[in-house]
Amino acid sequence: MLSRFSDVLQTAADVLAPPATRLEDFEYHWKMILNFYQNYDENNKLHVEETRIPHHLHQMLQLIVDEEKEQQGGTVGPCMEAIVQRSICLLDALCALAAAERPPGARALALTTGTALLRRTRQPCVNSAHVYRPLQRMLIQCNENPASPTEKEEVELLLTLCGLVRREPGLANIFTTPFVEDKSTLLSIPEDIQKLIPIRSKVGKEDNATCSSSADDNASCRSQKTVYDDNDKFLLIDLLLSYLNSADNQVVLRACEGIMIVSSLPEDDIANLVTSCSPACETIVHKLASKYRSIPANVDPSDVDHLNITWAYVAQDFGDKSYSKFHGYRELTSFFSWLDYCDTLMKECHPTIASHLSRTFRLNFLEGAAESGLTDLHHAVLVTAIVAKCLKVIDSPDLINEFSNWLVGEGEVSEWPLLLALVNNCLTDNHDLTLETLRFFETIIEKGTEHSIHRVVLARVISRGYCAPPPAFDDDERDRLNDMSIGREREYNREAMKQLQHEDHVNEQITDILVHEGLEPGLRPEHDNIHRVINSFLLLLPRAILSDPVGADYEHYIHDAHRRYQYWLDATSTFNWPADYNGVDTTASSTHSYDSRPEADIHLDEAFEPLKLEQKDPKQFSQRLVLRSRDLTSQNSHTEEEFDEGPFFKMIFKLLANMPSQPYQVNLHLTSIISQLALLPHPNLHEYLLNPMLPTAKKTPTLFKTLQEVARRLTMEIPRLRNFKKIIENTRLWLMSEDPSYDENADHNQLVESLIVLEEFCKELAAIAFVKYQHSLHMQR
Amino acid sequence: MAYAYLFKYIIIGDTGVGKSCLLLQFTDKRFQPVHDLTIGVEFGARMITIDGKQIKLQIWDTAGQEAFRSITRSYYRGAAGALLVYDITRRDTFNHLTTWLEDARQHSNSNMVIMLIGNKSDLESRREVKKEEGEAFAREHGLVFMETSAKTAANVEEAFINTAKEIYEKIQEGVFDINNEANGIKIGPQHSTAGGASGAGGAGAGGAAGGGCC
Repeated sequence: MLSRFSDVLQTAADVLAPPATRLEDFEYHWKMILNFYQNYDENNKLHVEETRIPHHLHQMLQLIVDEEKEQQGGTVGPCMEAIVQRSICLLDALCALAAAERPPGARALALTTGTALLRRTRQPCVNSAHVYRPLQRMLIQCNENPASPTEKEEVELLLTLCGLVRREPGLANIFTTPFVEDKSTLLSIPEDIQKLIPIRSKVGKEDNATCSSSADDNASCRSQKTVYDDNDKFLLIDLLLSYLNSADNQVVLRACEGIMIVSSLPEDDIANLVTSCSPACETIVHKLASKYRSIPANVDPSDVDHLNITWAYVAQDFGDKSYSKFHGYRELTSFFSWLDYCDTLMKECHPTIASHLSRTFRLNFLEGAAESGLTDLHHAVLVTAIVAKCLKVIDSPDLINEFSNWLVGEGEVSEWPLLLALVNNCLTDNHDLTLETLRFFETIIEKGTEHSIHRVVLARVISRGYCAPPPAFDDDERDRLNDMSIGREREYNREAMKQLQHEDHVNEQITDILVHEGLEPGLRPEHDNIHRVINSFLLLLPRAILSDPVGADYEHYIHDAHRRYQYWLDATSTFNWPADYNGVDTTASSTHSYDSRPEADIHLDEAFEPLKLEQKDPKQFSQRLVLRSRDLTSQNSHTEEEFDEGPFFKMIFKLLANMPSQPYQVNLHLTSIISQLALLPHPNLHEYLLNPMLPTAKKTPTLFKTLQEVARRLTMEIPRLRNFKKIIENTRLWLMSEDPSYDENADHNQLVESLIVLEEFCKELAAIAFVKYQHSLHMQR
Repeated sequence: MAYAYLFKYIIIGDTGVGKSCLLLQFTDKRFQPVHDLTIGVEFGARMITIDGKQIKLQIWDTAGQEAFRSITRSYYRGAAGALLVYDITRRDTFNHLTTWLEDARQHSNSNMVIMLIGNKSDLESRREVKKEEGEAFAREHGLVFMETSAKTAANVEEAFINTAKEIYEKIQEGVFDINNEANGIKIGPQHSTAGGASGAGGAGAGGAAGGGCC
């Protein structure tokens, strides 16, 4: 009442006297606030919003904003000057209000006023001790109360300070040791303010009693500062970290933003403060690990891969309580949201912090929390799904590096236990575990670093030990082959004719594609070689059991291979891989094998003569020819040293050979991994996987040998099924329809499914070989 | 409240062009002349109706200041729509549009619908950017364009709703995969029964289709 009356008086006075200056207005509102508190009755239960305090504070703020607009050349106006000089100790008063929370609601008001002052003015003079000290005190005093109802306002003020630091990094210093007072001073209210605003502080009452009640105590507090100096602190980060455990997701979000702003400052000394004087990295990773541990063990692993969570998502989404898609959704969302925050933070922050954070991530999350789950067979499926998803979603180079090194090991350790464990997980009889681990390997390759790809894939093939000199070709061998081929040809019937027509058709299609791409066969010998390679894959399976003998989708595969190959060229462009990559040579290293044995050519051409008189073009190539040329190279090589393809390829080939007895999904991911590897622009890997004519020792497993093995088995077993053509046709339709109900359908035929996967996989490999060849030609030009 | 779809929007553009005011006008139907600088992200939400369907717009209002770009761009991900705002009374805010657009296209999905907004149309006397220039920029970059005033509320509803209509049409055309939340679209709780379908499942035979890496 009194204050309103004074306002009226003031208005009346304005009419009579010349209008007051801005500073006089400012002083007037200040006095009104002090008056209110001088007469404040502790028993008064009125909320602060029902008093004139907000009005006066708002007016003072507006006066500062207004005067700033008129200031020229960065000078400070008289109202702001009064604050900086502490002739009007507004900020200390706000601090006292926040500490006392009198009248009720005063703390939130003090915090929002402080925030508004910093946000609305261009020059809030935060580097002045009379500005930053009360702000620090206010933050510390509010922070003393866990789960305070004003968390939101507190963290807004903190974020605002981070914003100021971002614009003027030098300000970070005011939150570091020599400028931050010791804790008891921070928890006290200066005596002059206690006289001006005689209300008892609610927070830190004991500290008030011990520290600021007498001048002596004050002195002793100050002397503690030196002790404090030994122990460097970065108050800004410490305060931000304390809000990460808030139950309010919006508060957590603000704290996250603040941490990101401070961590992304380019100044080295700030980054060093964050890593060495604050537990920031440890706290962030600890939180990740605890979110990981709270994921229920009975979450369905197949739910993990569909999640697509970004870090601010949780803050926004969790208001929506009805939204819980499946068991464990909330926990998984919370975990992946936090992972995305770690990843985003690592991309944006100072390199020093990024490397410290990624090391902490490996130590405290990957090794400390996740690793044991991968070998614990009760949980391995879910853990693998989660860890694989982690690797899939992360994007920061530091994090990917650390993640990869955890998986494959560093230095020259020959067999890294974790990698071996993953390989073995693929080979258990638990198909779910095989599937999830294959998915993981898919991601490991997709996210591969030069080091990790080397360790997993290249380590053994780099020696080219899989290559064996062409075998001696003796007459006995030739006779044997002749007998064999004649024997087979005797069995020709109508199906054989169809097979030949089919081969002609495929040949024509390939020729069309090659001509279309300007690679006319016959123009250059290499063109014929690539024709052979493609043929080897496309004619692997006999026509009689093909689900799609027309092969209408080659173009699709070529297009797809082209896109993916380009991706790999870009992704590996910085890798120190052999530059002498020569697609022509390696795609068709038939120069080593096939071409170097003209007898074989003659022999086989003769073999076909009775049936294919019109076939004069040597590029025309037949399935049997490929099979035989393979057989040839496998002979007579028992004397050679055995090539060890390493645990990873052993596992891949073993699973591949087992395709007919494995679930569709396993085969799909298996072939996807191999096609990914075939795309890698590394010459050795290329010839090892994509050159069917490569001369190898008999016992050396190769992709093509394994594929032939599977093809033989399918060719034997499928025709035994009753009505097999119909089954093949239906299965193909089902698989292509992408109908989810198919998975639940009991009577699907695993054997036929594997046939279709193999059939399409061969097209894919042919397309990859073609695209890589085309690229190498292009590079030569 | 139940909704058929939820769309995530972002509002981007230089500092001081009125992004937060546009949001406040749309969600609360009011104008606040003094507005504090936005530092982190601010959220707003409102329900609208398109084609008889309830659609919840979840709007992420971002900081315009260059200093906060590192946090801002991480919010672009997973947005279905963006309002790219400039101030018709400040030429420089128009000149920066290309940078904003590049940033947005780089950090968000390619199907995101972008609405270009020239705000403060009530300040005709201080206009520095002609309406035709905004239209030309939008045409050149394939954006939808509109001039608005967060103060008078002119065209504010339309800006948000037309963006939603465009997203809705893209859903009908099958451009957006609504099961992938990375596209910024979520199916409402009552629709989410079809959850468990295995997405990679049938790609069939296409190890090729299934194993895409980019």
